Amino acid sequence: MTVLSCSDLCKNFGRAAALDGVTLSIEPGRIVGLLGPNGSGKTTLIKLANGLLTPSAGSIEICGIAPGRETHNMVSYLPERTCIPIWMSTGQLLDFYGDFYQDFRRDAAEEMLDHLRIPLTQTVKQMSKGTREKVQLIMVMSRAAKLYLLDEPIGGVDPATRDYILSTIIGNYNPEAAVVISTHLIADVEKVLDEVIFLNRGTVALQSSVDEIREEKGMSVDELFREVFKC
Amino acid sequence: MLGKLMKHEFRATRRVMLPLYLILLVTAVAANFSTRMLFDSRHWVLTTLGTLLVISFGVAVAGVCVMPVLLMVQRFYKNLLQDEGYIMLTLPASIHQHVWAKLIVSAAWFVVTVVVVIAAGCVMAFDIGVIRDFFEGLWDLLWELRKLEAFYAFNGVGYLAELAALAFFGLAAMCLQFYAALAIGHSAANHKMVCSVGAFFALQFATQFLASTGLYQLSFVNWPGWQISGMAAIHVGMLVALVCVVVYGAIFYAVTVYFLNRRLNLE
Amino acid sequence: MHWQFSNDAPIYTQLIAQIKIGIVAGAFPPGERLPSVRDLATEAGVNPNTMQRAMTELERDGLVYSQRTAGRFVTEDRAMIEAAKRSLAERHIKTFLEAMIRLGYQREEMLSLLRQELGGEEEKA
Repeated sequence: MTVLSCSDLCKNFGRAAALDGVTLSIEPGRIVGLLGPNGSGKTTLIKLANGLLTPSAGSIEICGIAPGRETHNMVSYLPERTCIPIWMSTGQLLDFYGDFYQDFRRDAAEEMLDHLRIPLTQTVKQMSKGTREKVQLIMVMSRAAKLYLLDEPIGGVDPATRDYILSTIIGNYNPEAAVVISTHLIADVEKVLDEVIFLNRGTVALQSSVDEIREEKGMSVDELFREVFKC
Repeated sequence: MLGKLMKHEFRATRRVMLPLYLILLVTAVAANFSTRMLFDSRHWVLTTLGTLLVISFGVAVAGVCVMPVLLMVQRFYKNLLQDEGYIMLTLPASIHQHVWAKLIVSAAWFVVTVVVVIAAGCVMAFDIGVIRDFFEGLWDLLWELRKLEAFYAFNGVGYLAELAALAFFGLAAMCLQFYAALAIGHSAANHKMVCSVGAFFALQFATQFLASTGLYQLSFVNWPGWQISGMAAIHVGMLVALVCVVVYGAIFYAVTVYFLNRRLNLE
Repeated sequence: MHWQFSNDAPIYTQLIAQIKIGIVAGAFPPGERLPSVRDLATEAGVNPNTMQRAMTELERDGLVYSQRTAGRFVTEDRAMIEAAKRSLAERHIKTFLEAMIRLGYQREEMLSLLRQELGGEEEKA
């Protein structure tokens, strides 16, 4: 069953169209890159899938259901910026996620935190920016969701943290779930992806598998991206 | 889900409120001590210290009274409309549940604050001659009132209950007015906070305009057969005010939910 | 194992080539159980589906076989590993020769250069 599907999806802010007729579908077991330059509509699409925005026209569905309370149970969302409450300790965060999400695997989260040597008593306030991002990702990846929506998970962190984040995503791979990673740092995520979707000014410019692009064009997705979006 | 939201809302607010209550009680004890001991002292250092302690009690009372209101606005704004909103509004909970959780927890803090302030007042006043005399006088008065007719006693208690209900629902409606203003303001593309303040005053103006024109119109209405005593008239007035406050609250609630559901755009 | 990827070829073919080298060079000895696809994917930092595809191809070639419950193993057929080694060597020699010819070297010159290089290495050893 299709995990995420959009048909003729449009979103306008005032007169400006952030998304203009997006039609796409994402199947379970896939790790998909949502790629595009800044302002191409990546974050808007992800917010729509989370019900944080309402479509101006067209439809978006998660497992056949319009975004809302029911789909929040199936979607695990990593927002663009760190937004876990800074006064909470790691232990309180575990309680929080465990209380609200039935699919939260507390033991998996504790294991990952332990691996990073982050004590349960440490508050988010006391953590560095990179650690905060890691902790938030751990919370998001510790859910057994149907769809993971990761908005810029590797933007603004050092290369070692980047590697950690990507290997956490691979390590939590579930053939029944789909992962969408939005980013413009393509070279870093390319190996992790099955498929890529290029967004350009609110429309889908390309949806293809990574190895197909490499086989047919003889170049990496990163190189293709630079060619397509040449300024 | 509402229960879980409230649990975490309490968790987030009690770390501010509980220490504040503690400070208030400590200053109450200190003020009580200084009034009973230090003021009698001949030494200026001790009397100054006593004055400072009493002043600090006053400041603490003011702080404890203002904090629940500040916290009510700040929690709604920070937890739902700022970065934390990304997490809160993607929880498997409805907007209704979010608004109710915030409202109920705020209202609970209002009530607890009233109780704590009264308790602190009692601590402060403990065993102080003047105040003890005052309360004894009050007690005597009540004792005398006992002899009044049941009619007055019932009505008196009725007024108090109506006043308490009015205060409670009035505070809740005020919360919802802040929520509605913030929700409207944050649906704007930029200058969200300025728009929120503007929305607050617009709502304030609208309610006041409605209330005053309503009262004005009311004065022209001639209800035939309505001959009621002054006592009953006050009850009717109270109940009308109560209904008005609840209606305002309901409208603010509806506005808040609509804007959060349909018009929200987190930064 | 050290994993490295270039931009011009599909990732799964690069994975096949690198696992083959691993088998031939003894990083994965004959008959040994291979790590799970997920672990290998995490180690190489690649998509698990891509790793799975590489494994399926290697199975088809016979270098790797899977036992339904126990997992995936390197073949015990040493002749096959030898043949794979040989074909990898031939590929390297072919690219070497092509490059030397492009530089304008003749057969005899190449041989003497090689002998010199190898002799030098022997002396060092």
